[in-house]
Amino acid sequence: MFVLDMSENTISLQNIMEESMKRIHNQSYDEWIQNFALNLENIWNEPSAKELEFNNTTKQYNRSAIVIGRGPSIRKHRHLQLLAQSDYQGSIICTDGSLASVLEAGITPKKFPKFYVITIDPYQIIEKFYDNSIIAEFGSEINGIFSTITHPKVVNLARNAQIKIHWLHTLFDYNEGEKSFNHISSMMVRAKKHKNGLPAIQTGGNAGTSSWFVAWRILKNNTVALIGINHGWEEEDTSEMIRSHQRQITQENVELVTKNDPKFNNYFKKIHNPDFNCDTIVDPLYQFYRMALLEFIERSPSWLKTINATEGGSIFGRRITSMKFESFLKEFHC
Amino acid sequence: MKTNFKKIDPDIYEKHGEYEEIKNNSSELTQKEFEEFIIKSGARGSFMVYRTDKKDQELGIDEL
Repeated sequence: MFVLDMSENTISLQNIMEESMKRIHNQSYDEWIQNFALNLENIWNEPSAKELEFNNTTKQYNRSAIVIGRGPSIRKHRHLQLLAQSDYQGSIICTDGSLASVLEAGITPKKFPKFYVITIDPYQIIEKFYDNSIIAEFGSEINGIFSTITHPKVVNLARNAQIKIHWLHTLFDYNEGEKSFNHISSMMVRAKKHKNGLPAIQTGGNAGTSSWFVAWRILKNNTVALIGINHGWEEEDTSEMIRSHQRQITQENVELVTKNDPKFNNYFKKIHNPDFNCDTIVDPLYQFYRMALLEFIERSPSWLKTINATEGGSIFGRRITSMKFESFLKEFHC
Repeated sequence: MKTNFKKIDPDIYEKHGEYEEIKNNSSELTQKEFEEFIIKSGARGSFMVYRTDKKDQELGIDEL
């Protein structure tokens, strides 16, 4: 039983969710190994994500990045239009799912040269995020960051669009020691090139949290702002919008939970965001994402400042500064 | 030299609850229900969280 209003039960919920996700994803383990095997020649021939650092020190810099997700508030508050019209000089880090809409909004690497896109999911379904002519138009000026277990067809689409591919590992079983796939694959990567290996990141379960990690761990920014990282639905979003979003992911017409289900509220919980004084609806997947991101922000180094400029959603709490995106753009230029 | 910076040690991090703010009347969801929802809603558009006893490694590894 999950009870969400007590601390120890919240911890238990997080553990149970993470165990479930691990079990579900481990069913695709063979597919990840195949992906890695098919990527290996390219991994040897293409650069490490570490090369995206301005120099290979552990020093953090007094500069910022904006991580862009595709949560509902990005449309509601016209954040892409605000950014496109700004003179922001910092890094733009797009989740793969947001890339096409970001470019279409006029946020291009021509105007914002520190421009990145990140893919961590190992499934072919991610192809659709790169199958867009506007990506080919700007691809040669985009730095792509890909997990070594990304589906090769996904990386090929990005490569064909001339996106500059950079590799990293996504951590999932390194705790199992020398027989872990994380360890074995790292040895294989080092066997021919990348003698010092590749960076390995915590994904937090999704591209948004991965982008936040890349922003400070690899690109060394000391301020990371989030937009479109709601990890929740807006109250006014209809159930049809939610189903439509899910269909984009699953490509299946699945009925998740009907409004008439007596347990509907257990699946779709309403959370009050005191920073932006709004309510947001979190489904179980968003609960999983949210708990992890909140935890990792709290555990991040003291030199890092995380700003939530999403103006909605479920990400608030310790070590998080909430502000309007317009205010962020006025305060941070680089 | 003393500084005003609070040192954060990833090894002594203790998780805490953040869900006091839930507003609607909701409480029970079984693990089975959670897993069914995740599978139906597109686990293939997500990934897992990495956990280890070496807590600093949960925040990433510079070179692996």
